[in-house]
Amino acid sequence: MPGVDHCLQEAMTIPGAVGASIVDYTTGFPVATTGAAPNEDHEAAAAGTAEVVQAANSRSLFVSAVPHDLLEDLIITTAGGYHLLRLVQTEFDSRLVLYVWLDRVRGNLAVARRTMQRLADELVAQR
Amino acid sequence: MARTRTAAPGDLLTRVAGERQTGALTVGGHPGGAVYVFEGRVIYAESSSAPGVGELLTSSGRLAGRTWQSALDLGASGARVGRLLVEQGHLTQGELELCVLGATYDAAYFVLADRSAPAEFRPGARHWLGPVVHIDAAAVDREVSRRVRLLDDIFPNPLIDVAPVIPVARPPRERVTITAPQWELLVQADGQRTPADLAQLLGRAGYAIIQELRRMAAAGLIEPPETRAPDSPEFVRLPQPRGVSVPLARSAAPVPVISGPEPVARHPPPHGDQRPNRDQRPNADPPPHGDPPPAPPGEHNSGPIRPPRLARRKPGAKLPKEMAGESPPVHQGADEVLLKRIRTALRALR
Repeated sequence: MPGVDHCLQEAMTIPGAVGASIVDYTTGFPVATTGAAPNEDHEAAAAGTAEVVQAANSRSLFVSAVPHDLLEDLIITTAGGYHLLRLVQTEFDSRLVLYVWLDRVRGNLAVARRTMQRLADELVAQR
Repeated sequence: MARTRTAAPGDLLTRVAGERQTGALTVGGHPGGAVYVFEGRVIYAESSSAPGVGELLTSSGRLAGRTWQSALDLGASGARVGRLLVEQGHLTQGELELCVLGATYDAAYFVLADRSAPAEFRPGARHWLGPVVHIDAAAVDREVSRRVRLLDDIFPNPLIDVAPVIPVARPPRERVTITAPQWELLVQADGQRTPADLAQLLGRAGYAIIQELRRMAAAGLIEPPETRAPDSPEFVRLPQPRGVSVPLARSAAPVPVISGPEPVARHPPPHGDQRPNRDQRPNADPPPHGDPPPAPPGEHNSGPIRPPRLARRKPGAKLPKEMAGESPPVHQGADEVLLKRIRTALRALR
């Protein structure tokens, strides 16, 4: 049965993955981390991640264009890398996001996004 | 080795973690709670201000109440409730871990934030959930301090975290924007429920509730606790005495008959007004079948008037609506919360 650590290990097998974490985006706290983080600081990265998610969530422009719309992914591209955020939807109350940092050259955005979708679903779904 | 030491909660936690101990760090004060340590790693924390794993899973509907209860019955004595839920296929390992992590950090905030609260360590104490996650104690302590700072960055008034939540009667601006969690809070805030009550009622993390409340206080959407002057009672909904004002409004309705031909008029009340005054039904006169909730005790229940007996019902039939709902609880949510806490406390004693 895949747990949190297993999920992060899998995320690190995504081509180009440099680091991964699960972040509580109300508090900006990394619930679980693995690999590298930008500036070697998972906690600072989590705080930044949380601000990005909250900014997107609190701008009704993005999530309220149609009724019952939900934020799924946030993708930030930089010259050196990709930062992918996938919201983890649990039935119980939580506000979690799966974060993977990819190397720009080795990473493939489409593959990474699909893998993260599967990982986030598997983490909470009965199989 | 029944050691009991008193020190600042965070320092004591760091010390027992350094000694790789197993046990429970219990912290007094308000709200207080406990942090469970297993071989020096934090495995769980609980506080009355933070919904526990059980509340989070059942109030969201993720688990049925009886599923949770049977896992508790089966696994509590062996401290393996969490493992059971996964083994029986009710939860995935990922869900359980995420839920326990969330609940633990949430409760740890309430347990450890007050650095002056009395704390003691009970070696050997285990939690019925069992070890699901293993968190570095220093990380927990650091995160608690960070959360304290985060709240003060939003709106520096710790009274908001404990005082009953009172939405302002009139918003301070023509147009206000609120988030979905804030809406839930405003809908459920009845002027009596505290943030802890609301967290249990909504099944949301206690810290997340406080965060939203501080944001709403900053936006002027809830009354700041210190300005709640006693001379403005119209905004404070005082608890209503139960069952006192009910009979006047409802006494004209006849007692309905669920089954059986026996009409109510066969047993008229001794007083001439023909009023089947249900609120005067004494507690000592239980209806024949079913287990209806007893009338609330009070002076008005002990009068000499003998009320009409209830019509005979089939076993298992529900009480007539008018009778069953004769004294609607004024703030049912708070009662539910209280009941839940009592139940949780009883379970923990097993």
